[in-house]
Amino acid sequence: MKKLNSNPVPLCLAAGLLLAAAASARPADPPLHYQAQPTNTSVAIQGTSSVHDWEMKGPIIGGFVDLPAGLDFDTNQATLPGLKDGILAASVMARITVRSIKSEADHLPEVMDHLMQEAMKETNHPRIEYHLTELKLRQPHLAGQPFVFDAKGDLAIAGVTNKVAFPVAIVPLGKDKILIRGTNTLKMTDYKIDPPAPNFGLGLMKCGDEIKVLFQWTLLHLPPKQP
Amino acid sequence: MKKKKDSSKVDRRDFLKNTSVATFMAMMGGVELAAPGCGRSQPVPVAGRKSGGEGAAPGAAATPQPAGAEAPLTQKPSFPPCRYGVIGAGPWGRKIISTLDLLKNDHEFANTEVVAVCDHYAGWLNRAGDLVPKAERFDDYHKLLAKPEVQAVVVATPTHQHRDIVLDALKAGKHVYCEAPLAHTIADAKDIARAAQSAFKLVFQAGLQERSHPHRHFLLSFLRTGVLNRNVLARAQWHKKESWARTASTPARADELNWRLHQATSPGLMGEAGIHRLDAVTWFLGGPHAGGRPSAVTGFSSLILWNDGRDVPDTVQGVFEFPEGPNSGLRFLFDATLCNSFDSEYEMYYGSDSAILMQPGNESRDSKAWMFKEVDATPLGWEVYARTERFGAETGISLVANASKQTALTDKPAAGNAPAVIEPLQYALQAFTANISEIGGAVKTYADDFGEADTPEFRANLADARKRALSQYPAAGWEEGLEATVLALKANEAALKKQKIELKNEFFDL
Repeated sequence: MKKLNSNPVPLCLAAGLLLAAAASARPADPPLHYQAQPTNTSVAIQGTSSVHDWEMKGPIIGGFVDLPAGLDFDTNQATLPGLKDGILAASVMARITVRSIKSEADHLPEVMDHLMQEAMKETNHPRIEYHLTELKLRQPHLAGQPFVFDAKGDLAIAGVTNKVAFPVAIVPLGKDKILIRGTNTLKMTDYKIDPPAPNFGLGLMKCGDEIKVLFQWTLLHLPPKQP
Repeated sequence: MKKKKDSSKVDRRDFLKNTSVATFMAMMGGVELAAPGCGRSQPVPVAGRKSGGEGAAPGAAATPQPAGAEAPLTQKPSFPPCRYGVIGAGPWGRKIISTLDLLKNDHEFANTEVVAVCDHYAGWLNRAGDLVPKAERFDDYHKLLAKPEVQAVVVATPTHQHRDIVLDALKAGKHVYCEAPLAHTIADAKDIARAAQSAFKLVFQAGLQERSHPHRHFLLSFLRTGVLNRNVLARAQWHKKESWARTASTPARADELNWRLHQATSPGLMGEAGIHRLDAVTWFLGGPHAGGRPSAVTGFSSLILWNDGRDVPDTVQGVFEFPEGPNSGLRFLFDATLCNSFDSEYEMYYGSDSAILMQPGNESRDSKAWMFKEVDATPLGWEVYARTERFGAETGISLVANASKQTALTDKPAAGNAPAVIEPLQYALQAFTANISEIGGAVKTYADDFGEADTPEFRANLADARKRALSQYPAAGWEEGLEATVLALKANEAALKKQKIELKNEFFDL
């Protein structure tokens, strides 16, 4: 009786190839979904005027960040795996409710709030919204330091959308959280916003066109929902 | 980063710095130093409501306007619609309805509306309904609370009925303004406070109206500059000649109306009349966290004139003592009577450098205050320009916020700036409306992104929003309401027993 070839190696190889083929055929793993968190999050807007500098702050940034599956933000790595030409395939939507941004002035903060809301046409455009279009890692990355990216995206304020680019740092906070920090300088007139010039009785106060936006944004990784 | 100042930390240096500006402004001539938001006619200017700003001198305003300037400032937008239901349509309830209706004349509060009124007594319900013809009328408060369009309720029923109504209203998701005192027993007051504390997404305001009055905040910051120097004595009174007795067509209705006359349902003169003075004085003396909570009260009471079968005294006195601290040795004397109306209602604060007399605002006059300086007190600088008035042998320096050099010289306010009487109730209801808008907005902003679940983060976010809203539209919350109610009820108990009661912290703690 002719014996069957009992060598297990080719069988394992075949099985492995089959599994690999099956794996490559199935849909890609879902991205890592990070959801905005209300703690350790803030946005500050700093500006100038003919009288004094001013600042407004908001405690809430809503939205999400989707990152490629399996991405590990271990800052001890020299670089991040899975980059193509240094670009991380990420998807980001961030939004800020205009009314949540409040003046830090000692006197009459509600006046500043109102001026800002009026200037930003809050009634018709209650939110500032940002969508990422490209996230490119800055090299070289120093081990132990946060990963710094050049972020490009579309920023919509007061009904006007402009392309913006600014650096952001992404810091892992434990296993499930990330903190994104960034600073950007904008011009109000680029968004068809007239710099407020309130008349405070003793003379005209004129705000400068340029403002600086600083933010820190904490997000929590949420596991995909089971179907 | 700029930080807001704590109003309790105004120092003399800050005050004098602002004073010199005020003096300079006064000397420029033609500059009307009017306190924004305090006793001004409509429409309100954009400037803040807290008169004078922190540390500002009497006569100085945060945003002085040149005389004749025609409202050059931008106008604040109106708050979003706020639809009220008023529960309890007696004289005070109807006063509240009228005042809420009056708010509409102010651009900022133009969207305020009374959409429902409630009273189980048809006569009062009809009278209240006639004030706001478009409002729906209810004879059962449960039916009013079931209406989704009612966002906020004002509870103006007899004090002993507050508890159930407030708890049901908060449960129904309504913002609540509850008249003071919160309740006729400490247990009920604590139930209300607990419910208000739990309903963190809603606004609860206690009807301690003077907490919302800009002149009070102006005077508070002035007092905290140390003008009294060493606190020596505080005294307050509430005097009226009236019986409190109500007549009705049936004995049952008369019993219902005369709840104030019986100890089982009435917190007495200390609670019904005195609570506003007790609250104001203990607040001005530092409040519960800065030595302003009395450590004991000794009470006295008599039924002198209205001996008509009631068991509630018509004349009471209370002597409040304070713990070791900034008010060591100070005693606060309060008396209230239904037997004599002389000098009505006021507070006096006596210090080693000066004394301050404060009169609360009411229907016929605006809130006012005067300072009487000792001859050896440090000159403040601005008082040479301030208006003065004679009080018997004394000369009082007016602490009316628009008492500038100009007004002193002409002895009357500048044309176009005639002070209009805005009652404390109106300020309180404005604050309630504004805070509903602010807190409602903060709830929506947060919930849109993070959901409505009760989390520590949500509570912290709203606590910040509440703190901020109250800094612009100050008002008494459940904490102040409970503090004042407990104090008034214990003072009433001491008066009835004619004895001394130690005020333990546990009486006030939730």
